[in-house]
Amino acid sequence: MDPSTLVEQAVSGVPAPIWFVQFFKVLGFTLHAMPMSLWYAGLLIALVLHLRGNEHGRRFGGRLLQQMPVIVAIGVNLGIVPLLFVQTAYYKVFYPATILMAWPWLAIIALLIPAYYGIYLYAWGLKNGEKLARLRVVAGWCAAAMFIVIGFIFANGMSLMGHVDRWVELWSDNSVAGAASGTALNIGDATLWPRWLLMFGLALQTTAAWLLFDAEWLGGMAAVPAAAKQLDDNYRRWAWGFAKKLYTVGLIWFAAAGSWYVFGSWTPELRESMFAWPLVLLAVLPAIAPGLSWLLVCFGGRTKAIALLAFLAQFCVLAVNALSRQFVQNLNLKPYWDVYSLPEDIQWGPLAMFLIVFVIGLGVIGWMVAQIRKCDSA
Amino acid sequence: MHYPWWYVPHLTAPMLIAVVSVVHVLVSHYAVGGGLFLAVETGHAYRTRDREYLDYLHGHAAFFILLTVVFGAITGVGIWWTIGLSSPLATETLIRTFVFGWATEWVFFVIELVSAFIFLYYWGRLSENKHIAIGWIYATAAWISLVLITGITAFMLNSGRWAMDPAAQNFWSAFFNPQFIPQTVARTGGALLLGSLYVYLHTSIFIRGERLRNLIASRSARPALLGAIMIATGGVAWYLFLPEAAQATLVSSAVMNVFTGVLLSSTLVVLVMIILGPYLNPGWLSPGFAGLLCLFGVAAFAAGEFVREAIRKPYVIHNVVLSNQVLPEQVAELQKNGYLNGGVWPRAFIAERFPQVTADDRIDNKILLELPSKDRILVGEVIYQHHCNDCHAARLGYSAVGPLLQNRSREQVLATVLHLNDNYSMPPWCGTKEEAELLADYLTTIMLPRPAGIRPWEKSGSDSANEESGGKK
Repeated sequence: MDPSTLVEQAVSGVPAPIWFVQFFKVLGFTLHAMPMSLWYAGLLIALVLHLRGNEHGRRFGGRLLQQMPVIVAIGVNLGIVPLLFVQTAYYKVFYPATILMAWPWLAIIALLIPAYYGIYLYAWGLKNGEKLARLRVVAGWCAAAMFIVIGFIFANGMSLMGHVDRWVELWSDNSVAGAASGTALNIGDATLWPRWLLMFGLALQTTAAWLLFDAEWLGGMAAVPAAAKQLDDNYRRWAWGFAKKLYTVGLIWFAAAGSWYVFGSWTPELRESMFAWPLVLLAVLPAIAPGLSWLLVCFGGRTKAIALLAFLAQFCVLAVNALSRQFVQNLNLKPYWDVYSLPEDIQWGPLAMFLIVFVIGLGVIGWMVAQIRKCDSA
Repeated sequence: MHYPWWYVPHLTAPMLIAVVSVVHVLVSHYAVGGGLFLAVETGHAYRTRDREYLDYLHGHAAFFILLTVVFGAITGVGIWWTIGLSSPLATETLIRTFVFGWATEWVFFVIELVSAFIFLYYWGRLSENKHIAIGWIYATAAWISLVLITGITAFMLNSGRWAMDPAAQNFWSAFFNPQFIPQTVARTGGALLLGSLYVYLHTSIFIRGERLRNLIASRSARPALLGAIMIATGGVAWYLFLPEAAQATLVSSAVMNVFTGVLLSSTLVVLVMIILGPYLNPGWLSPGFAGLLCLFGVAAFAAGEFVREAIRKPYVIHNVVLSNQVLPEQVAELQKNGYLNGGVWPRAFIAERFPQVTADDRIDNKILLELPSKDRILVGEVIYQHHCNDCHAARLGYSAVGPLLQNRSREQVLATVLHLNDNYSMPPWCGTKEEAELLADYLTTIMLPRPAGIRPWEKSGSDSANEESGGKK
């Protein structure tokens, strides 16, 4: 069966310029990937450190776990943006891919709820500074495991969306009279495993960047309970040392998984396209950006400014990675769904309404954050 | 047919939407009403210097966040997940029409989140005025997000001019549909009422002191009563602005009668209980009383949501997308050229499985009829899956076809298929006569026999003739 026959071509116009959709898709994913990395790899590290680490490790573990309910809430919320825009311009490939694996895809929601409550159980158990009950510890570990499984299912969904050629086999193996039973997983796809592992490597780096940002900038936040509030210099020294090690591990992990992804799973045609000018920039930048960020963390000096720069640099690392993979996705899909050839039927009025509300919303949030900054400094 | 169909045995995929959305709605309305409660009552407690009440509100804010930010928010995402899997064509249409409505709603979600966390985590650290202001920012953002999503869900029930007038096919005409104001009023009322019911339950469990419990009971009775009035007003307007077919379904369907009865009677019971209890006798607020109140409130909400979902048929988006994932403008072509030829996934399946029926990339319906019986049944099942399984399980389950067609002859089944839309709540048959034959072949294999144990009665002449033709008129 020719897989291209399974993708119906669009007849209706996309309600926004394609560049706008892609911009918000990539921006939204990058914003989502920052907090997501912290529950993907950071949670695991925090749990290990909180139970087995030294004094400072336990302190960091406790801090991150107490921040985690807010981090998860914001991360899930930011995930809505790419989800919305992927459905705006990629619907003919997004829906079939997720329907073929409907049960695992729906399981994301079923896993996310207990995982999130598990985080709360653990985090709120830390409030009094007493020894954690076994139930809370188990809940924390279960949550970490569930987040990793969720990441795996996401990697399945996104890789299946980008590889229409995989649909026929999965549909044929998982259907009842032509209807999808929704039980497929894209584990036969060569890109799945390196893609999943690559994100974990990036998540380790993001956790390291967050550790520095938290130690240097959030040390006195009133939201963090008094026991963990004022951070001393010893803790900061430890934080820098641990962040360097963690970032280095993340970098090596990323390099290994990234090499596997590019040289072990890309088709020759894709490599040829991505290594040709100007796309080669988007093949090289994601590879070297983590290295530059690593140089900053390891050799930039132990200052508040460098901690902030490292955090921003990590955002850029995730952004170039997301941008590069957006182009890879477009190239993979081109024979089936050429996003650039979609007709546009732009809703200018609603688009303007969104942008105006977006700016006002940023203002309101800025005002609220300013109030708590004043509160913290007082 | 434009997308693969997800087969969920016994339940049907779209019923998952009903399950997830009913559960979500029970929390999302509290996210609005509870937010308003916290903003108003925190202001009151600050003004009256009621330290005990402030402590209670602090605890309630934690409970509120645990329920709304976790369960409410994730089940909200869950609705999106489920509609994309179960009703992809409708979701595609809604996203295309309302993408910036949703994007705008997302901005308010972010404001809600940030303000909710600041409200809780900076309790006692922010100045009173700032704290109250943050509470009001949350309450306002939550209500606006209710208004925005209501514009979209209301469009599904009555698309107004949008579907009929190409010039009106824009965001604004879709958003300000005839159901928008009635549903916004009713849902705002629902949020106020449900918010109070959650408060009563929480208060009755966690507050031992009579003074504070009575204070909360009586203060929360007023928004609850206002909510009830708004539900009633919005509900009447909702009925008046329903499409005629939806009004007819509400009256003629026995299931809808029952659910409407549950909705009205539960709402009335809640109203009476609030007046007799918290409003006139705040001391009545025990965990049992509050639990019962909540139970009736939940029953009213769940029934209301189910009715709202079910009366849209034969459309999933009124006049825009039929419940079997077909656009009304495609029906004539499908009837002429065949359902299988028009559907991307069923066509691919048949072409792969039975290449002999395909010529020039088209399925020849006449050759399909020449297939062996086993294969005809399989093709019929393919058509059933894509054309019927949106609303009907097969042999057993939700609105299953097996019991519905009980004991009919093949000819009667075929006639039913060909004249599906004689029952206005069913979509039209979207295929050829040959495809109807194949579907009838399959349906007769899952049809249940007439149940035994019915005492035979004396037959008149007309009864005998009727029985001979299959026992049905």
